Amino acid sequence: MAAMAKNRLKVLRAMHGMTQEALAEKLQVSRQTVIAIENNKYNPSLDLAFKLARLFDLSIEEIFEYEEDENE
Amino acid sequence: MDNKTYKKYRIGIALFVAILMSIAVSLDNTLLALSSVIIGMVFSVVVRSKTKHVVDEREVMIRQKAAQMAYAIFAPTIGLGSLLLILVSDETSYFTEAIGIVLSYLTLFLIALFSIFLYYFNRKYGGNGEE
Repeated sequence: MAAMAKNRLKVLRAMHGMTQEALAEKLQVSRQTVIAIENNKYNPSLDLAFKLARLFDLSIEEIFEYEEDENE
Repeated sequence: MDNKTYKKYRIGIALFVAILMSIAVSLDNTLLALSSVIIGMVFSVVVRSKTKHVVDEREVMIRQKAAQMAYAIFAPTIGLGSLLLILVSDETSYFTEAIGIVLSYLTLFLIALFSIFLYYFNRKYGGNGEE
C-alpha cells in the first residue's frame, strides 16, 4: 500500500480563519475531500497540492511531509 | 440545491418509482410500469441539473476503485456461472444451456471492453513506448 503523506492543512486553515466549506470552494473540491486530506485519509494529486501551496503561499514541502512506509 | 437535499430528493424519487412499479406489477399494467420509469428518469435529470454537485479527484478515484472491484468480482462470477450452467444442462432443460451461452458471451464482451479501454488509456497516458 502507498504511504500516506502527513500534512498541516488543518493548522493552516485555522491560521487563515477558513472553514472547510470555504477551503473546498476555493479549491473546487468537495468538503469531504478537504476532511479526508486533513485526516490523512487521502493523498491529494499534484495538481491539488500545488493549488493548496499557492493558496497558502507556501511550498508543497511546507504543507506535506512524506514518510516512507517502513513495511515496504 | 446542495448535496444533502439532492440525496433526499433522490430517495424520494426512488420510493415513488418503486411504489408505482409495484402497483403496476400488481395490476399487470405495462403502461404504468413504463411511465413510472420514464417519470423517475425525468425527475432525476431535473433534480440533478438543479444541484451544485462537485465531482472532484477523490470522487473520481473512488469511482475508479469501485469499478475495478465490480469488474474483478463480476467477470469471474458470470464466467464461472456460465460454465456451470453449460455443464449442468441436459436435454430436459432447454434454457439452462442458452442462458449459459448468453452469459459466457457477456463475459467475453466485458473482458473485450475492459481490454480495449485498458489499451486506450495506457496509450493515452504515455504507455506507447515513445520517448
